Amino acid sequence: MTATSTAPTPVTARRRVTRAQLAVAVAVLLALVVAVWSTRGSEKYPGAADPRNPGPDGAQAIAKVLADQGVDVTIARSADAFEEATVDDRTTVVVSSTEQLAPSTLRRMRTHASAAARIVLVEPDFAILQEIDPSLGLLSVPAGKDEAIAARCPDGVAGVGLDGLDVEVDRATSYTGEGCFPTGDRALVRSVDGLVLLGAGQALTNDQVTRADNAAVGLRLLGQDPRLVWYVPDATDAVSDDAVTIGTLLPDWIGPALWIVALAGVALLLWRVRRLGPLATEPLPVVVCAVETARSRGRMYRRSGDREHAARALRRAARTDVARRLRLDRAAPPAAVTEAAARHLGVPVEAVAALLDDDRTTPATDHDLVRFAQDLARLRREVRRS
Amino acid sequence: MAISGRVPLLLLLGLVAVVLRPQAGTVWLWLLGVLLLVGLDRLLTPSPALAVLTRRPPGSVRLGDPASSDLVVAATGRRLHLHVRDAWQPSAGARDNRYRLRLAPGDQRRLTTSLLPRRRGDLRATGVTVRSWGPLGLVARQRTYDVPGAVRALPPFESRKHLPSRLARLRELDGRAAVRVRGQGTEFDSLREYVRGDDVRSIDWRASARNTHVVVRTWQPERDRRVVLVLDTSRTSAGRVARAPGEDEVDGMPRLDAAMDSALLLAALASRAGDRVDFVAGDRRVRARQRLHGARDVAMRLQEQMADLDPVLVEADWDLLAGAVQGFGRQRALVVLLTALEPSAVADGLLPVLPVLTRHHRVVIASVRDPELTRMAALADEEVAAGSAPPTADDVYAAAAAAHELDRRERTRAMLVRLGVDVVDADAGELPPALADHYLALKAQGLL
Repeated sequence: MTATSTAPTPVTARRRVTRAQLAVAVAVLLALVVAVWSTRGSEKYPGAADPRNPGPDGAQAIAKVLADQGVDVTIARSADAFEEATVDDRTTVVVSSTEQLAPSTLRRMRTHASAAARIVLVEPDFAILQEIDPSLGLLSVPAGKDEAIAARCPDGVAGVGLDGLDVEVDRATSYTGEGCFPTGDRALVRSVDGLVLLGAGQALTNDQVTRADNAAVGLRLLGQDPRLVWYVPDATDAVSDDAVTIGTLLPDWIGPALWIVALAGVALLLWRVRRLGPLATEPLPVVVCAVETARSRGRMYRRSGDREHAARALRRAARTDVARRLRLDRAAPPAAVTEAAARHLGVPVEAVAALLDDDRTTPATDHDLVRFAQDLARLRREVRRS
Repeated sequence: MAISGRVPLLLLLGLVAVVLRPQAGTVWLWLLGVLLLVGLDRLLTPSPALAVLTRRPPGSVRLGDPASSDLVVAATGRRLHLHVRDAWQPSAGARDNRYRLRLAPGDQRRLTTSLLPRRRGDLRATGVTVRSWGPLGLVARQRTYDVPGAVRALPPFESRKHLPSRLARLRELDGRAAVRVRGQGTEFDSLREYVRGDDVRSIDWRASARNTHVVVRTWQPERDRRVVLVLDTSRTSAGRVARAPGEDEVDGMPRLDAAMDSALLLAALASRAGDRVDFVAGDRRVRARQRLHGARDVAMRLQEQMADLDPVLVEADWDLLAGAVQGFGRQRALVVLLTALEPSAVADGLLPVLPVLTRHHRVVIASVRDPELTRMAALADEEVAAGSAPPTADDVYAAAAAAHELDRRERTRAMLVRLGVDVVDADAGELPPALADHYLALKAQGLL
């Protein structure tokens, strides 16, 4: 049977659409995976002066060099991890990404590192300075290229001799008061209250560590002791009342008012949800389209490809119709009807017989069947008209 | 229990309190206060059972005509603030059936719900919901009571419009007494002058000899014949058909409704003609059965009988129905079977019992034709004629199936005619007058 050759067409078309969609989805997924894979390394520790960041802003180079020089470098990325690291009087603590330090984490860090030989804060910002000493001020120094700043501090800072070294960075922060690398009445490196403030944080970065004596400054500040604890603070360690939140800006009745509104909303739901009595149901009668059986029988013919049966039914209907039009007896044999029709229309018997005779070839495809039905209809129309 | 819109509003008022005293405790205190008020109101709410409900039955109405149902609410014991809903099944078409009322003790109020039935049959009230509000209007107690009531929507009898013309023809039959066949069932009526066109065989020569004119005898058409209407409510009656060719069958009516319409017209006509009409309806069992003889308004009583009949998806038990017909009496009758000319149903159920019926009675089968079937069979034909798009393969297969079905029906019909049964096969809208005409033709020939 050839019925299967025509029937499945819409099915394959639909499948092709889904296959195209699948291909697009797979391509998008692949692109995502590749993008994630290729950016994996650089995105992992994006912080400035991070000891694991190999980018221009990172400080992996200096951390590696220190480790090669025999310094035991421990990296702590949270307050808890920092508190687990041992800090004794032969330990230097360096804090990068200091903008992540909240007052509470700063306090925790200082408590834990109270025994440390020195604590270096890389470019602490104004908020942290206020925590350390409210009288301190700072100024951003747009140090241009090729403008080295000399140390000019014979005493050094926190027991580290820096005299004779130059530092050269794109941008630095200077702090008010006495210190090394002075610019005006401020200094790039200062020691305050047991903390070393390193205003030239860019001197540690991979990009600028090789300029002037940047490397020497970094190594001297961080490499004095056999242990170095590198603390990269995390803002999420801060306790909630550390910072200014949106909550402190809003009036204090907003919270309770929201509760009131929510309760009113619940009451509104309870009010509207209660129906005035149950839904009224309708006992539905049986409704069938009377012609439905004939329709489904037609579909069944088509599915099984029973063109022979269909053609026979059409032929019989056409013969009955023609016989009635030509006023033939209802019991007239098919051959007689064919002959009468041919005579009536003035066409060869053979042409009419091909349409009306049951024994003639049945249409081989659905397309032929449609043509056959149209031919029969034309014949009936001609008989009726003439 | 139900709350009103005042409860959320009262809660929202708490915003003022919260602004004045911005603490979390204020929220809970306010909520507690509102809950206390609600609880108090709930305690003071009268029970909805204090409202006494009685319904006056709305009775019968012809399908398509409006009706109304009266519900009387009386307050006993306490002052009531009520919210009442008189719920009906959707096809009863109840509108504006929610009421708010305040009743003093001893008061009673009548609530009139207007109904517009959209379906034939008994359309029932599904319950009366009473919501009784507390004195503060915050809380209500709600109960639904079953207050039975039903409006009976009678078959519309749309074929009523054909009745006057058929009655006129019946009178014509009466006065002219043009009974062509003498003998059984014809009675001598009177003598009158011969006019051209009268049958010469009816000339009364004896009377003519005593007169200067030629005189003919006239006969009254037979009276007091029996007509038995058998309504088939089995699966074939559930099919929905278009009323007229070209109409969508979705707007059509079930075969059963068309058959009812035909039965009503025939019953009205036959009772006017002096015949006795009996009615039986059923499928697996007899669903309705009545002798309508002597009733003043036969059509009305038949409508009452038919109102609650619905198609059932079972095969008809024609043995049973034939038995019911015989139960009306052994006297020869015109038995009208209102069923569908469905080849398989006829061959399996009806054919075996037909000989029993035809031996004693004159049997007419009135069938509702489906114009959609004819249209489907002629589909290819129409489309070629209209010059529109050629038919699809689906159309052609459907046309073949329809042609096959029509052929089987034609054979069934031929077989029934050979068995001595008259078959009246017409579209839903045409069947009532066609059946009435057939009845008149039989009556004119004295074949009843």
